Amino acid sequence: MRAFPYGKAAFMFVVLAFVSSGMLFKNAATSRAHRLPAGARKVTFWVFADTHYEAYKKSIPAFEAAHPGVKVDLQLVSNNGLAARLQNAFLADLDVPDMVEIEISSSGTFFRGPLKDIGFADLTERIHSTGLWDKMVHARFAPYTNRGHIFGLPHDVHPVQLAYRRDIAEQLGIDVNKIETWDDFIKVGHRITQLNKRYMIDLSDSGGDNLETCLFQRGGGYFDPDGKCILDNETAIKTMCWYVPLVAGPNRIGNSLGWGQVLTKAVEDGYTLFLFCPDWRSRSFEKDIPRVAGKMALMPLPAVQHGGARTSTWGGTMLGITKRCKEPDLAWALAMHLYLDKPQLAERFRQTSILPAMSEAWNQEAFHEKNAYYSGLALGDSYARLAPDVPFQYTSPFIGVAKAKLGSALVACVQEYSAHPDRDLEPFARAELKRCANDVRTLINRNPY
Amino acid sequence: MTQPTNTHKKGWYEVQHRVAPYLFIAPFLVTFLIFGCYPILKSLQLSLYATNGPKSHVFVGFSNYRFLITDPDFRTAVWNTLVYAFWSVFFQLPLALGLALLLSQKWIRGRAILRLAFFSPNLMGQAFVAVLFGILYVPQYGLVNRALHPLMPHLIPLDTKWLQNPSLVMPALVLASLWMYVGFNMIYFLAALQAVDQDLYEAARVDGAGPWHQFLAVTVPGIKPVSVFVLITATIGSFQLYELPYLMLNNSAGPKNAGLTIVMYLFQNGFVTGDLGLASAIGWSLALGVLVISLGQLRLTGTLRNEMQAGKGGKAR
Repeated sequence: MRAFPYGKAAFMFVVLAFVSSGMLFKNAATSRAHRLPAGARKVTFWVFADTHYEAYKKSIPAFEAAHPGVKVDLQLVSNNGLAARLQNAFLADLDVPDMVEIEISSSGTFFRGPLKDIGFADLTERIHSTGLWDKMVHARFAPYTNRGHIFGLPHDVHPVQLAYRRDIAEQLGIDVNKIETWDDFIKVGHRITQLNKRYMIDLSDSGGDNLETCLFQRGGGYFDPDGKCILDNETAIKTMCWYVPLVAGPNRIGNSLGWGQVLTKAVEDGYTLFLFCPDWRSRSFEKDIPRVAGKMALMPLPAVQHGGARTSTWGGTMLGITKRCKEPDLAWALAMHLYLDKPQLAERFRQTSILPAMSEAWNQEAFHEKNAYYSGLALGDSYARLAPDVPFQYTSPFIGVAKAKLGSALVACVQEYSAHPDRDLEPFARAELKRCANDVRTLINRNPY
Repeated sequence: MTQPTNTHKKGWYEVQHRVAPYLFIAPFLVTFLIFGCYPILKSLQLSLYATNGPKSHVFVGFSNYRFLITDPDFRTAVWNTLVYAFWSVFFQLPLALGLALLLSQKWIRGRAILRLAFFSPNLMGQAFVAVLFGILYVPQYGLVNRALHPLMPHLIPLDTKWLQNPSLVMPALVLASLWMYVGFNMIYFLAALQAVDQDLYEAARVDGAGPWHQFLAVTVPGIKPVSVFVLITATIGSFQLYELPYLMLNNSAGPKNAGLTIVMYLFQNGFVTGDLGLASAIGWSLALGVLVISLGQLRLTGTLRNEMQAGKGGKAR
């Protein structure tokens, strides 16, 4: 070191450079040693939901056993990280997994730009030639279809019911069998709601999630099948004018404190009695609010009018095979195993309570089993009965903006209604929704692709 | 094997001494050119294109900049960022200076522990602070409402929604940022206060100056360079706000975009919708805005004038 002409500090830098280079080489050698043996095939599969991850972890060994020499590399990735990173990896031609599950609200963003730039393989031909189209709930293909091409297999149906505190409802003399329409529901809500103490339903006054579910139930949405923004159509305006008095003003029956621990506490305390409950959320409640086991129950969503659909939809997942997948047939076989194999689907339902999109699977024993958490209700049957009525929803690359705009319009209408509860909300809601829809249209029109 | 002659040795050392400085700065220079200069120039070029990722791009001239001027979301983002920067800096600096003055008093016991306590929130990172304050602000059961409701029952009901009410989002963000950064800036002021010549206080006392006059006549001029530095870095930091609102508002811009900041808007456009051209235009607009505001601050505090005079004086010498 004494002979080194540039002093101790420079010497230390040189030493560090050599040590770190050595470590890099060692790591490279180690990863080479862990490579699959020659002739072995690998499918890399990313999922974002831990419930899906756990379920697939159990069913993948059967697939590997049926396909000797095949290894499925299943990875759980955070939803936000997955959407943003995968989108950028597609656009920059970087390394991507062979198969990916995408959450419905992100799916549209992958369909931006020319068809050749979409990172997912077009599955339309495979879906029709294998007869899959007839086996699955058609409505669930809509969000994953763009310009006539289907880029994803639907994982689920996600019909929505209302979960409620059965014990408190009974104490308060609420007979859910007598609630058929939203008008019936609101009438009961006005009777039992005590502001700042107890609310009939968990409804958000600041985010569009619950409003969106109500909008879908009424046949509305963000976009039409051609990708045109319909946020300001008559259905949206009527839904907004109906929804806002439920969460604002002196006669409100809904309030939402948020998600996570606060929701757990609100349900435990009976602060909110009824909650929107798609199939996936029914399992979340079981996991997150175990203290109310046996005190909860489910009822179909009240209809908009007598004889109307008693459900809506909330959330969803698609499975896509990427264009860079080296073995698309193998990936397709895995997709069939996970999404169409009946015994696997039954087992998955037991673990996740999520109704699969393949209707043939719903007659299995698992879907008739009674659930103790929901007071002995046959969970699968209750959702399967509603599944054929699940509304269509269409997406677009601009779905994120549209969702944010609907949320903004809701907040503006809530503020207006809170300040002037006696004034007619309709002209304000109409103008606000028009403004929001025009913002989305401006962005769509800017898109040169 | 022949021994090198003295002349050879001397020549070799001369070459080494001439080349060595360039070799030492080469790693930084190369890295900076690749990861600093190239992206800067590339982003300037990209801002003139409509893009769908790096593969597809169409030249649109200044259309991205023109769009930003008319875009209501960008206006909201700019307004929110300005409001946050103003209130954050407005409270942050006096509080940091006040704490520094307090903790520089010799009569306070446990000063070292208190300094660490006030500085420690900064060690946590914005992600942790966001999660922590997200829990504190929870309506009905959150600590903030539980603490404030008994004091102001009519003003702050128990179910006050700090993060769901658009008019409360900004105060909630500023409060969280104060908790995080006041202690950090306090350290700068503590260092500055220790550097003020104690003889000046002695002289001021002899001249009959009380504590307030000593503060105005000795402390304030003494810590001015550090104050200007803190003012500018705090302002620039405020303009780069992203993680705190994004995580506190559950990966969104909050109700009615009340928490949308310029950097969040840039991220959404560049990395969610894939329009790198528009994102680059937002980035350049932000850089320009920060430059103008920083120069304005330097001018207002007189620092720019002093620097220019010093420059002229230097030349004259």
